Amino acid sequence: MERSPVAFGQNFSGAAGDFPALLRSNGLLAPAAVNPVATAERPHEKTWQPTEATTILAFKFSGGVLVAGDRRATSGNTVVYDRADKVLEIDRHSIMAIAGVPATAWEMARVLEHSFQYFRRTQLQEMSVDGKVRALSKLLRDNFGFVMQGVGVVVPIFATYDPHPKPEARLYFYDAMGAQFEAADYAATGSGSPAVRGILYYENNWGAKPLQELSEDEAVSVALRALDTAAESDTSTGGVDRSGKIYPLIKIVSRKGITTLPEEKIAAVFKETVA
Amino acid sequence: MIEEPYRWVEAIANRREYVEAQLAPGSPIAALGYRDGILFLTIGQTRQKIFEIYDRIAMGAIGHPGDIERLRMTAIELASTEGFTRSATDVSLRRLVHYSLSPAMKSAFEQVYGPPYLARMLFAEVGERPEEDLFLRLDYDGEIATNGATYAQARQDFAALSGTRQSRELMEAFLKTQHAADASLKAAVNFALDAWSVGHITLQTSDAKELPERSAVTKYRQEQLANMGIEAALLERDASKAIRYRSLSDKELRPLIHD
Repeated sequence: MERSPVAFGQNFSGAAGDFPALLRSNGLLAPAAVNPVATAERPHEKTWQPTEATTILAFKFSGGVLVAGDRRATSGNTVVYDRADKVLEIDRHSIMAIAGVPATAWEMARVLEHSFQYFRRTQLQEMSVDGKVRALSKLLRDNFGFVMQGVGVVVPIFATYDPHPKPEARLYFYDAMGAQFEAADYAATGSGSPAVRGILYYENNWGAKPLQELSEDEAVSVALRALDTAAESDTSTGGVDRSGKIYPLIKIVSRKGITTLPEEKIAAVFKETVA
Repeated sequence: MIEEPYRWVEAIANRREYVEAQLAPGSPIAALGYRDGILFLTIGQTRQKIFEIYDRIAMGAIGHPGDIERLRMTAIELASTEGFTRSATDVSLRRLVHYSLSPAMKSAFEQVYGPPYLARMLFAEVGERPEEDLFLRLDYDGEIATNGATYAQARQDFAALSGTRQSRELMEAFLKTQHAADASLKAAVNFALDAWSVGHITLQTSDAKELPERSAVTKYRQEQLANMGIEAALLERDASKAIRYRSLSDKELRPLIHD
């Protein structure tokens, strides 16, 4: 019997709403790592190089979660691109900010974006925040085989607005293996993150007021100062390019959705409180 | 039995009769263009009948829920995979239906030892401009009808789906005389409710050839709305949003209705 042009089988993945599984069944996504620690048998080989050369930060303030990232993309000692977008919108209320290998990170963001939509369309309900957080964790875990081979490490931050049970902005950070941690106040990732973490800890505890009480302008100011500090000692972090007028990318997640701050606004805050 | 051509034709004819009888009680769905996009509307009280397929594509369906579900999943899988591997703008309703769904439905219908799809679907895709809006009806045998994908036909900015051909044609006749492309959402909702009523009245009579009286339509609509809910969705022409599909609740719609 002739096969129909579409596989209308009983075992369609749509029933489970699992988009990565659908992609894998069509050969459109690399298979999940079955045994990601296989290379550990050869300990003399240096396999995992943490090359998360960038700085991403996020913290909660009075108006939701602010997520900021510098714009520099590097390869070794070379600056490849100075307008990279590392703060990515995944859906109306979620942002994934990435440190790590761009090719893998952007692919991951793309899979994630489509996964949430695919789930909503097939299952006729929105994926829960816990489900979304877990979906990213699973992608990281599936990618860990590549990380162990020395390619494709991604360490993201995920910020979202959760309407249930208590409406509030939520913030998560991950490690390269996919462990997820919910941040109470702030999170940072990338090579410049130690400096940023120090600043955010200091601001939160001994600053003029705790991070969660900052107004939008104050929050933007803290973010710019933190990125500028990170760029001071980390060559992979662009910070603010004063001559080229390139500013970090700043997005805010709130009940209303995602707002991308216009460059003029960031420039104004920068001029007044940082420069 | 079906080795003989005559028997095969007979089997197909029987099967057609059976499928038509199964679909006949299906409650109508109206889709019409309005000022800012496309409105999908039906009245019912049990199952969801209007669905989001992709960013700019919506589907309404009547038939067996199991079959509708399988076709819906397939359409979403195909569109999502295309949108992921290429881009959202490469997902096209025309390709989805012509190259994938229609051939599969035709072969399921004509392979007389296997089950046919008991489903009839209405798709719409919102374009950048109203002239690019595509309305497309796909039947259980793979048959496709559009609002004017060819030059031979006058374009229409509406489409209807119903259990019987007669009911659907009367809905189309009604929309042709009443509906204007630049109608407000409020006007479109009311036209759609009237078109649904026309379709639903004429489903119950076997020899309806002409449109029911205006007053009869209004009265029928009021009676039905008293104990059933409105299900509707929009495909908005708002270029600032990637996802144009938005479902409307009964509560949002009630204030738009005028008697």
